[in-house]
Amino acid sequence: MISLNNVHYRYEPEGIAALRGVSLEIKDGEYVALIGPNGCGKTTLIRHLNALLLPDKGSVEINGLDTKIAKHHTEIRSCVGMVFQNPDNQIIGMTVEEDVAFGPENLRLPAAKIKKRVAESLQRAGINDLATRNIENLSGGEKRLVAIAGVLAMNPRYIALDEPTAFLDPAAAARVLETMDNLHRAGVGIIHVTHKMEQAALAERVVVLNKGAVYLDATAAKVFAETKLLQQINLRLPQITQMLLKLKKSGLPVRTDIFDPDEAADYIGQLIKKK
Amino acid sequence: MYRAGTFISGESFVHRLDARLKLAAVVSLSVFIIWAKPLTILFMGGCLFCAVLSAKITLRTLGQAIKPLLFFIVLIFLAHALFSRNDGSFPGISASGMREGFVVTWRFLLLITAALLLTMTTMPAQIIAALKYFLRPLKHLRVPVDDIVVMIMLALRMMPFLLWQKDKIEKAQLARAYDWRRSSLKRRVGAFLSLIIALLLGLFRRADELALAMEARNYARGERSSFVVLKMKPADYRTAFVFAVMLLIFMALNYYLR
Ligand SMILES: Nc1ncnc2c1ncn2[C@@H]1O[C@H](COP(=O)(O)OP(=O)(O)O)[C@@H](O)[C@H]1O
Ligand SMILES: [Mg+2]
Repeated sequence: MISLNNVHYRYEPEGIAALRGVSLEIKDGEYVALIGPNGCGKTTLIRHLNALLLPDKGSVEINGLDTKIAKHHTEIRSCVGMVFQNPDNQIIGMTVEEDVAFGPENLRLPAAKIKKRVAESLQRAGINDLATRNIENLSGGEKRLVAIAGVLAMNPRYIALDEPTAFLDPAAAARVLETMDNLHRAGVGIIHVTHKMEQAALAERVVVLNKGAVYLDATAAKVFAETKLLQQINLRLPQITQMLLKLKKSGLPVRTDIFDPDEAADYIGQLIKKK
Repeated sequence: MYRAGTFISGESFVHRLDARLKLAAVVSLSVFIIWAKPLTILFMGGCLFCAVLSAKITLRTLGQAIKPLLFFIVLIFLAHALFSRNDGSFPGISASGMREGFVVTWRFLLLITAALLLTMTTMPAQIIAALKYFLRPLKHLRVPVDDIVVMIMLALRMMPFLLWQKDKIEKAQLARAYDWRRSSLKRRVGAFLSLIIALLLGLFRRADELALAMEARNYARGERSSFVVLKMKPADYRTAFVFAVMLLIFMALNYYLR
């Protein structure tokens, strides 16, 4: 379990607070979306989850291990993997294999074990065919998957991903999301930082952050029902939900708790057939 | 897209050789190329050429990899051809200058080809592992070998980024050329400096983030393991023997040739 207790953080002593009293619990295997306006502290928050940043006040515990204690860091960082926003700043090796091996090499595992982990991680990220490829020759989507595989090689219980579909075309983004879903099914906890509401709707739970504090924390359906509160911080609902809301406003008795285009199509199709 | 000089996967005899053997061969060959007499390196060029062919690297690929260096090659040749002062006619084309230009250019080409043969047929991780193997004795002298190897890895990784940045500088300068001719020297220098600073800041930010990403994957200074297993096979020993014999022949040749 990940638990944050009244976490405060500022980058510079006199600067503005990036986090101001965040308390949050994330259970093993949970799929959480973390959303909020630009600069609300999403990146800062997830960097607390594997001790890259330490709280000024309050505490972060990973499976009961306090991130403030340096001797826990190796275990904490193996437990919570971090996929950075820009894979180019995360990938260290020159080839895919070499990069995925970087984490286990740091753990000083023997060669045979590392090879096994590399093969497994590539498999789980769905990129076995890329093993010996040069990083420079990969597409943006492939690089994201390599970054994910590199984190998987540490056998983490959770993975925090910082806007993993930014700058990707829809097909590549779908592939990354599918990989995340597969990992979740295999029991890995997912913390997905995103500003796309459609993607947040895929999570079991949505945490909305605003100005460094938790603003809303509930299931996607409940969070998206808070249209007024979301509007106040300039967050836009999924387009399909916006459309349903407009239909309802014009007097039609429709559901507005649908965020997925396919589901909406089914629903509207049934309504039309009933008539 | 293939980036010149990087690893090309293949199944050739050269590909399969132990990386340590290849690294040692390239280093000893390089020393020899720099040091040997002109006629000897003419022969060596032939042998190196055979090695390139047996690695199934086409001349076209080799040419592509050498092309970016063409400017330097021509420069080196001209510098020697024009400014060689053996017969006092300075500067000007002289027979001895031309000859010297050819020899130096030939040496340079062989050095590049030897290095390319290594990088094109050996995975970067293998080269790194081989390097680590040879540096290992230095650990007794408290040299931080593991850290140095990671630094080399990072430098290799940053290379494309640096080249890309250099391209960006050149394009930006080109775009400004019109203004530049008109503005004062002071403003030109100022504009250039601000460009350099912006690029350096970009590089630092990137390095910062990379350091954080390494930490996130449990990197700490000091001892690391490696997933690469280097193992000398019978074919490697045979090749090492043949290589040593050839090197001796070259040395003998070098002694007797003028
Ligand atoms: N390295 C840094 N130094 C100083 N301030 C920073 C740094 N990184 C982020 N901030 C500030 O902290 C706040 C939260 O940033 P961040 O966590 O990156 O937000 P988000 O990821 O939600 O866009 C912002 O006000 C941002 O300007
Ligand atoms: Mg961010």
